[in-house]
Amino acid sequence: MPTYELALMLRAMPKPELKTTLTRISHAIFDRGGIIRNIENLGFRPMPYKTTAHGLVHKEANYFVFKIDTPTKAVADLKEEYRRDVDVVRQRVFLAQEPSKNDCTLEEELLPPAYREDVQKMIDVGKTQVNRFTYKFKYNSGLDYYPFQK
Amino acid sequence: MSLIKTVLTRYVLPTSYRATAARFSSTDAKITTSNDEPVEMDNPYKKERRQCILCKLNITPDYKNYRLLSQFQSPYTGRIYGRHITGLCKSKQELVENEIRKAQNCAYMPYYYKDKVFLKDPKLFDPENPVRAHRF
Repeated sequence: MPTYELALMLRAMPKPELKTTLTRISHAIFDRGGIIRNIENLGFRPMPYKTTAHGLVHKEANYFVFKIDTPTKAVADLKEEYRRDVDVVRQRVFLAQEPSKNDCTLEEELLPPAYREDVQKMIDVGKTQVNRFTYKFKYNSGLDYYPFQK
Repeated sequence: MSLIKTVLTRYVLPTSYRATAARFSSTDAKITTSNDEPVEMDNPYKKERRQCILCKLNITPDYKNYRLLSQFQSPYTGRIYGRHITGLCKSKQELVENEIRKAQNCAYMPYYYKDKVFLKDPKLFDPENPVRAHRF
């Protein structure tokens, strides 16, 4: 089961209602054989743009991020369920990313173009192509002049 | 007498003997005795390898950290600054752009402006003085 991040925006509502909504959301995950690793509350704050959901315009939302492990096939099902939920304003699912361990290539990128690897590759590709600035069409007629009217 | 000594060490004694004799002495003594020989060392003028700011501080951009991401956004148009302005390496710039797009999609970050709360955040780079010339 891969780890997903479920970013949820819930409508503005009093705390007891929010609690029942969160339990409902979590039970939907458990019913599909998933587990919750972590729940993050990013707080209640104004949205950067207004959003319409279930016939209402929302300008503020409760932001939550669920870190969940579910079967891949259950994700579409979960999304469909949350789409029908009137308390969910907006929802997004992303694969949880591992911190990438790659070396910084800035030094190579700051070299002059002739020394950069990608530029050298482009030059090599260009050498295999027909140079359209110096290419001259050959008639292959065996004559040193053009036999027809130009 | 000294002439005989030098001739003896240079021509009569085999080279291997001289090498072993030198090996017994400590490293400091070796430098002082063979002061004419070139010393093997790294290039002292070699410049330090430059790194982008995110690689240097070992930061992986994340869509939930929208405050950091908003620093790579124009305060006037909300557009993401390019690599020639931000001075990031290719991989980190791509990550930043992807995470900004995710954050905007999740309604953490606005599309067309920068959150006014973050307008006074410290500047990581100067958009007026790009690393390479602007495309436009």
